Amino acid sequence: MSAWFDANLVSILNGAAIGCLLFILAIGLSLVFGMMDVLNLAHGAIFLGGAYVGWKVGGAAPTWASFLLALGVAVLLGLVAGGVLSAMTEPLRNRSHLDQALLTLGIALVVAELLSMAFGNDVRGVNAPPGLDGSVSVFGNAYPTYRLMLIGVGAVLAAGMWLLVSRTMIGAVIRGTVADREMISAIGIDNRKVKLAVFAAGSALAAVAGVLGGPIYGARPGLDATVLILALVVVVIGGLGSVRGALVGALIIGQIESLGRALFADAASFVLFGALAIVLVLRPQGLFAGATR
Amino acid sequence: MSGIVISRRHILGMLGAGGAAAALSACGSSIGNDSSSGGGGETKSIKVGLVIPQAGVYAPLGVDMKQGWDLWLERHDGKFGDFTVTTVAADEGETPQTGVPATQRLLQSENCDVLVGIVNSATALGLRDLVTEAKKVLVVANAGAEDITAKGASPYIWRSSFANGQVSGAMGTYLAEENADDSVYVIASDYAAGDEALAGFTTAFEKGGGKIAGMAKPPFGKTQDYQPFLSKIKSSGAKATFCFFAGSEAVSFVKQYRQFGLADDIPLYGSGFLTEGGVLDAQGDAALDVQTSLHYTSALDTPANQEFAQAYQDKFDAVPTVYAVQTWDAANVLDRALKASGSADGDDLSKALGGLGEIDDSPRGPWSFENQTPKQKFYMRKVEKEGDGYVNTVVAETEPVGQGG
Repeated sequence: MSAWFDANLVSILNGAAIGCLLFILAIGLSLVFGMMDVLNLAHGAIFLGGAYVGWKVGGAAPTWASFLLALGVAVLLGLVAGGVLSAMTEPLRNRSHLDQALLTLGIALVVAELLSMAFGNDVRGVNAPPGLDGSVSVFGNAYPTYRLMLIGVGAVLAAGMWLLVSRTMIGAVIRGTVADREMISAIGIDNRKVKLAVFAAGSALAAVAGVLGGPIYGARPGLDATVLILALVVVVIGGLGSVRGALVGALIIGQIESLGRALFADAASFVLFGALAIVLVLRPQGLFAGATR
Repeated sequence: MSGIVISRRHILGMLGAGGAAAALSACGSSIGNDSSSGGGGETKSIKVGLVIPQAGVYAPLGVDMKQGWDLWLERHDGKFGDFTVTTVAADEGETPQTGVPATQRLLQSENCDVLVGIVNSATALGLRDLVTEAKKVLVVANAGAEDITAKGASPYIWRSSFANGQVSGAMGTYLAEENADDSVYVIASDYAAGDEALAGFTTAFEKGGGKIAGMAKPPFGKTQDYQPFLSKIKSSGAKATFCFFAGSEAVSFVKQYRQFGLADDIPLYGSGFLTEGGVLDAQGDAALDVQTSLHYTSALDTPANQEFAQAYQDKFDAVPTVYAVQTWDAANVLDRALKASGSADGDDLSKALGGLGEIDDSPRGPWSFENQTPKQKFYMRKVEKEGDGYVNTVVAETEPVGQGG
């Protein structure tokens, strides 16, 4: 057992790092879908926008100042993008998911094309900021320092999100909206404002994930679709509108992508969707779906 | 909806074959007239369809190819022999679903005499019947699938680039000579080109007495994180790694190979596309000391390449890539063939291409057609830093080898 653990330690650690990044990416998608019933397929495009911000503002070899600046710019752009998306989906709020999917998919395609026009079609590599761009030895195995930091950032964000949602008034409104939207508006809280705020915050997190993911995934055309699928799988596995669900879903997907691929290398291409299929068959509402869904 | 699209495509395809045949008979007679009255300094014209990716993941290659093509024409007064060249570009896209119809359009609506380009091997293979029936010459300027010229050869399809196994086989032979006692781990994207590259390397390396320590094939286009595979390489005890990756996968793999601490202990070798062109800048320092085999490097110290690289740099403010050279050479062989044949007819041109002998002024060094694909030298290249940028310097070079040789 301990030999097995030794051999796979790096995989497990790496699964946690990827899982933390996926959590930051997917939490916005999960809350928007779960709370506001809006399926936002432009989420991946916002991630890619953040990745290009990281490359353009932070530079291919960022300093701490430029890296933090890139994070700040990404937050601002994400807030604006979320606000715009919220306004654009407003007329469709009582229409089917298919209509929303068509609109947001269209937006995603347009944004992806604009990014390709603005930044070209080359693959852009981004380094980690100084001090994090090397490797450290973890029980005798080299492991990239930056990914260790990601685990820390993900843990802090997860704790913060959990406190926000379960211990504050804002969180009570959010949870209330997930449970019964009409009841929340009946007690005098404007649904549209809640939606706007959650949309903006969720998109900002997606853009931040883009910057944070830069040193791992880089920035390139097509990355938006790749991460959108991962985020959707996380949301489906974790269940809609729940912080805990998004976190557990993301960590599971992280382990599947890392440890799963290491253990079942021959099945690497379908181990992710195999896990998705199992969850859909056994628990179609997701592992931690909101109580009313 | 897809049913409608498919049936429409089929109908277009049938119309296309008929249309091309009709266009061809018309063309044939007019060209026949030209060549019977021509022969002197009279100007004739030829229309070339340039099929290159202008959108999608291969778009950066398309840019390089277009530049190589444009540069050749600019430096030769826009002429192949006596023929004034008109170029019509079309977007190959990423897959045969876009590449084949684009080529079909060039043959039918644009009545192109010759086709050049094609990055995707599946597209090149999918064009075989179309091109053969139309009896028009296609010079494949990138796609590396073995069957484009070997088993699946068409008399009208020529290649100015490489075959997948040829590139990696050169590295296999070289590594076996250098350190045959060391075992090598091989890894490549799980698709046709990756399979052919691994087969080419493994055959040549084992023939030279080398041992394979293990093999992995990460899913193509679905792998962002190579850590699980890197752990396997590490635990295999291999003394070196040979890999085949291109585009964004090449960037991810090379960066992660260093981040996870393998680069210092287990040297990385690969097919040259691993560190060619734009991906090398994105890899940055992570690519230092990576060794690859390819039929070109911008660092080649020959007069032909110096002149070419300087002209390319002056015009496009960029370092030339193998993709630009392959398209430059496509123009070069068409020029030579048209001078010899004096006719743009597919059969005449094909015959002339077969009789070209050695192409002695290519930036890549001398090469010749063997079974319609290049027999050429391969360079063992090592990534080094030069000023602010990175360059593939030449470590060694092979004798000219053909496909499967």
